[in-house]
Amino acid sequence: MKITLVKKIKLDGSLCKKCEEVQQKLDATGQISLIDEVLIADERDPLSPGMEIASLFNVERAPFFLVEREGKAPEIHTIYFKFVKEVLNQKTLEEDELKEILNDNPDLDFL
Amino acid sequence: MSENLLSTVDLDQTLSAQTPQEILSFALEQFDNIAISFSGAEDVVLVDMAYKIAPEKVQVFSLDTGRLHSETYRYIEKVREHYNIDIDVVFPESEAVNKLVREKGLFSFYKDDHKECCSIRKIGPLRRKLLTVDAWITGQRRDQSPGTRAAIPVIQDDKAFARPGESLTKFNPLANWSSEQVWAYIRSNNVPYNELHDRGFVSIGCEPCTRPTGPTQHEREGRWWWEEATLKECGLHDVNIKK
Ligand code: SF4
Repeated sequence: MKITLVKKIKLDGSLCKKCEEVQQKLDATGQISLIDEVLIADERDPLSPGMEIASLFNVERAPFFLVEREGKAPEIHTIYFKFVKEVLNQKTLEEDELKEILNDNPDLDFL
Repeated sequence: MSENLLSTVDLDQTLSAQTPQEILSFALEQFDNIAISFSGAEDVVLVDMAYKIAPEKVQVFSLDTGRLHSETYRYIEKVREHYNIDIDVVFPESEAVNKLVREKGLFSFYKDDHKECCSIRKIGPLRRKLLTVDAWITGQRRDQSPGTRAAIPVIQDDKAFARPGESLTKFNPLANWSSEQVWAYIRSNNVPYNELHDRGFVSIGCEPCTRPTGPTQHEREGRWWWEEATLKECGLHDVNIKK
């Protein structure tokens, strides 16, 4: 299995907020050691490796994880806690999961 | 639903040209285990439409955050009686609410922001409910929050709430309707509505986080008005993705 993390650099040159948060979590938990490659999707450069992958797999969110397993179709994971649970088989905290869902779907607070 | 849907992207294009009733008909035909999220506000039109399309299939749920207006509780009851339907009222986990209140008090959202409280009181119970269905229907509209809702599709593959290894489909039949269209429907069909609307409340949520708005204000200004209107920015800008 090969895991690639794609992080986004925004038009103003800064790293996207969620990319920073996910990077911090990966570092704090040691999960970063399970990531084989980190690529940058630079919004200022459509040819940057991360932008190419985003385009190839039609991904509209960052950060995301590309998971490639032998003999299987590549998987894209845009939800960090699901990636941790389903790919890394590790535990996550419910409160973190709920916050991530709301942050990724800010309209849900309107319900 | 028999198959693992339906290309939601292709379907979105087709369904976007259809009326909310046509979209609802499609949703109710495709899925047996499908539920409407009813917030106790003008999204009642979905209940009315679904009831007229397939009364036997109407499954409705409401999120009771514990902080709704008493008018909203009365209204949910009124809708239940008017249509003679069950409304599954779902609640947050008491332990999570206890912890929040113990650590941060009853009005933490005025000091921090509303996300922590909303994630416990709304997203938690919503997730528990959605784990029991194959599809759900919301009254989300593009005109409710121009910034974040501009891209609301009519149908989407809801990865956030899907059971592991399965899919969950979300329908937003009112995505392309305006507030005026919703209210024209309510009036012409004599649909019961929340009495708070007559007191200047356009958007109705929890009591401490909702206020009436004036004619020149956007309805979003009636919610969490003390927070800065910051938009989350995590999408990859399409223009920059090489096609
Ligand atoms: S709207 Fe306000 S009271 Fe209701 S769940 Fe969100 S923050 Fe809490």
